[in-house]
Amino acid sequence: MDFLRPATLTDALAAKAEHPDAVPVAGGTDVLVELNFDRRRPPALLDLTGVAELAEWAPDGDVLRIGAGVPYSRIIGELGSRLPGLALASRTVGSPQIRNRGTVGGNLGSASPAGDAHPPLLASDAVVEVASIRGARQIPITEFFTGVKRNALAPDELITAFRVAPADGPQQFAKVGTRNAMVIAVCSFAIALHPSRCAVGTGVGSAAPTPRRAPAAEEFLAGELPWGSRRRLSDAVTRRFGELVASAAAPIDDVRGTADYRRHALSVMARRTLTWVWQEHCEGGWPACA
Amino acid sequence: MTVTEERPAAEVGHARRRKEDARLITGRTMWTDNITLPGMLHLAILRSPMAHARIATIDVGPARELPGVIAAFSGRDLAEDMASLPCAWPVTEDMVHPDHLPLAVDEVRHTGEAVAVVAARDRASALDGLEAIEVDYDELPVVLDMEAALADGADLVHADKGTNKSFTWVFDSAEAGSGGNVADALDGAEVKLSRRYVQQRLIPAYMEPRSVVVDPTGDVFTVWSATQIPHILRLMIAMTTGTPEHKVRVVAPDVGGGFGGKLQVTPEELIAFHVARRIGKPVKHTETRSESMQATHHGRDQIQFIDLTARRDGTVTGLNVRLLANMGAYLGLVTPGVPILGAFMYNAIYKIPAYRFECTGVFTNTAWTDAYRGAGRPEATYAIERIVDELAAELGLDPMEVRRKNWINHDEFPFTTVAGLTYDSGNYEAATDKATQLFGYDELRREQAARRESGDLVQLGIGISTYTEMCGLAPSRVLGALRYGAGGWESATVRVLPTGKVEVVTGTSPHGQGHETAWSQIVADQLGVPFEDVEVLHGDTRTSVRGLDTYGSRSLAVGGTALVKACQKVIKNAKRIAAHMLEASEDDLEFADGTWRVRGTPDAGKTIAECALAVFTSHDLPDGIEPNLDADATHDPENFSFPHGTHLCAAEVDTETGWVNIRKYAAVDDVGRVINPLIVEGQVHGGIAQGVAQALFEEAVYDESGNLMTGTFVDYTVPSAADLPAFDTDRTETPATGHPLGAKGVGEAGTIASTPAVVNAVVDALRPLGVNDVRMPCTPERVWQAIQEARR
Repeated sequence: MDFLRPATLTDALAAKAEHPDAVPVAGGTDVLVELNFDRRRPPALLDLTGVAELAEWAPDGDVLRIGAGVPYSRIIGELGSRLPGLALASRTVGSPQIRNRGTVGGNLGSASPAGDAHPPLLASDAVVEVASIRGARQIPITEFFTGVKRNALAPDELITAFRVAPADGPQQFAKVGTRNAMVIAVCSFAIALHPSRCAVGTGVGSAAPTPRRAPAAEEFLAGELPWGSRRRLSDAVTRRFGELVASAAAPIDDVRGTADYRRHALSVMARRTLTWVWQEHCEGGWPACA
Repeated sequence: MTVTEERPAAEVGHARRRKEDARLITGRTMWTDNITLPGMLHLAILRSPMAHARIATIDVGPARELPGVIAAFSGRDLAEDMASLPCAWPVTEDMVHPDHLPLAVDEVRHTGEAVAVVAARDRASALDGLEAIEVDYDELPVVLDMEAALADGADLVHADKGTNKSFTWVFDSAEAGSGGNVADALDGAEVKLSRRYVQQRLIPAYMEPRSVVVDPTGDVFTVWSATQIPHILRLMIAMTTGTPEHKVRVVAPDVGGGFGGKLQVTPEELIAFHVARRIGKPVKHTETRSESMQATHHGRDQIQFIDLTARRDGTVTGLNVRLLANMGAYLGLVTPGVPILGAFMYNAIYKIPAYRFECTGVFTNTAWTDAYRGAGRPEATYAIERIVDELAAELGLDPMEVRRKNWINHDEFPFTTVAGLTYDSGNYEAATDKATQLFGYDELRREQAARRESGDLVQLGIGISTYTEMCGLAPSRVLGALRYGAGGWESATVRVLPTGKVEVVTGTSPHGQGHETAWSQIVADQLGVPFEDVEVLHGDTRTSVRGLDTYGSRSLAVGGTALVKACQKVIKNAKRIAAHMLEASEDDLEFADGTWRVRGTPDAGKTIAECALAVFTSHDLPDGIEPNLDADATHDPENFSFPHGTHLCAAEVDTETGWVNIRKYAAVDDVGRVINPLIVEGQVHGGIAQGVAQALFEEAVYDESGNLMTGTFVDYTVPSAADLPAFDTDRTETPATGHPLGAKGVGEAGTIASTPAVVNAVVDALRPLGVNDVRMPCTPERVWQAIQEARR
């Protein structure tokens, strides 16, 4: 097995073009587990931890451009107030050690249906920035996941960053697992309110072949929320929202949980997170549409 | 003997930090895997991916061709060398006991069973060697479910045995003369409850994976192993390999945990031995965590059918237990005995007039089961403590009142139970009173009522476990009566060196318990020497020549008593020497703080150290005395010891998601006289954590083909600190009466007590919803399913 360790992004892209079978490694928290269990034997590993520009983030116009190699612990510490949903999800990843190593870019690269970062990225309309020696392109997060542990990258492409607007409204994330820490989600859910444009974002994890949004639930809720009046939501609205989120899922039975429980837990998490974000909205702070 | 009460107990009772911890915690010590010998080869073991198959062909030839590989053997290659691994506990005369060879020869019976071994210059080459081995398997039908395995026409794990049943063992109080006839109790019962509880399969997740080094190059075979049982292992290696016992030396160096999982003579140890003997070079095998999860023996895995009868006032009248115990594919060292130990514990702390217990051991195509922290006692305690709660619910009584009505009162000890054991001491009232105060029982009951009243989505449940257990394994004649193949004594040696420093040799084999500290404290008090002046040696059959090792919370109660006896012999010998030096009559001497003094002349005295120097020079000793201050003692206990206590758990249960949060946990344990409160506290915390793990988190699951689905720590969810509450702990101290230390044992108490406390709390929270059981582990999904089923 070759071990490639470029020092610049240019070199990294050249290496990936030359070795399209090389598996990129950022924190290694997924890849090295797979290697240890002998689930895959790539001909080469492409270690990206030497590429300094991947570990940077900066505002870029209205959005934040966050390098693929920024670890979860920095997202929590440096971006928690601007990306509260992603920060909440990042706090549930593994252990402190894993959060120091693991990156959102790596999570996107693995494209696991259970990736903790995916639901908040979906809920916030993130865009994934990828590059190759042929050039760079931007892939909307909703088009990024193409199958179980598959994504829209071409063999010569690397994930360089993701772009996401700072929160323009309350955000929440919830996860059910079989223990508190060091656990793969049985299912997870993220919600982002966008009061300025009367819109709702959602993300569902561990409950379909890919992480996905719940568009019908978003549309329903955007129409039902009394954005300007900031009054309490009726139980009928929260319940219906939960049902629509659950119906967006296509879960399976596995050793961590059954499909029935996943659907049920999603509906509960959707109701609860909605209650929390709406409460926060009602308490003010965020400018609302209409 | 009440030696410790005659002098101020300066060390005993002192919360000393453990002297062994610096090296254990930093890892700068001799773990087996740290051993490297000149010319040592590394072993890798090929394991079966099939749960049941005939090995049609196996070819290790290609492995032998690889660079770095020195040798490779299949089971067939070593068939003539190997004998079956031992089972030392044939619980019935007609027990079906299939051979279990270290390497499978013709047939594999569980995934992970060893089929071939490669020896190479380095570990990586050995692992590469495994890939070159070609095996063709012919699949055979897989038997996984115990009840299906016992049905007529079931597929067989061992075709030649004609049955999947290993044994049926029965205890009947009417036959034993210790109680009445259960059939009568069942017939005339005012109230009868029947329940089926499932003890899920657990994996002993010790921190240090198993590791073994065998050196065949000297005059003797030296075996280093991460084992709990160096002495038993030595004997069993001699008995199963034909090597004379005096030509086998076993060393358990520092060992990183066991929980019963290292109370075994393992295939890996014997494979390493046979390979080393064949090729004449030292070899090492260290398992990976994934191998460990598959191939170590597992624990629990029982189905319990339990009937409890009572009068309407809550007085229990009879107890009937029928048990199916999963042996796995083979019998390990004490596999059949584990559920049988439980037979004596189902009656727990209660006065039950009639009792019957029947256990059937069942073979399945799963990893063998054997001892796991508590070994039979947690299962029994779970079932009785769960069903006593059910009885209270049935009768509309407070579960604590039902317990009070039935338990043995403190003035009734010694008490001979319906299972035939004599509990020497105990005070359930005192422990319970202390626990309910510590817990805030009444206040939490009020909060529970308020939450029920308001229909809170998060309900509060209160779980009680008033447990006892049997420790100090074990009186040898009781073990004999139970057909166990060895005794239950323990030995100790005390040597006072010429400078007054003391070497202690113990036959127990600590693997994290802190024996070096506790034993030093005992000796310091006994001989009046500083704690720091005591060195405790263990684990090497060359230095610790006699011992029965560490398991079953036996080490302090049995090994500590042997130690006290040895100290007493030293003191007795020193007395003659001191009298001689003081020119006094022995009758006029008294011993205090390590010094013999003549009564009435407190200034003149001789210390143990002075006596030791006098012995070393031997210039002027009394006539007829042997010049040494060493003593051996062996102690065979007259009886078990019976720790007890009251554990109370308050659990918040989210009735929508099923999430369980332990809000408060209070434990008052009575483990007798405490030598080191810090060590006791550590054992209680770790024990509770392990019991909570069974209640809420851990389960080994096989799929329908017999593949282990929970083979990593991602899916076998051992809880971390983030999953556990703060524990409020306290103690009552009712000394054991059978030996001078008064200690009862604490290694397993927390694990035995906590599982039913937690599940009782979960069920109690959900009882208004019609739930009367949740199968362990009570994961969010299981809890939710129980609620759904109750609603149907």
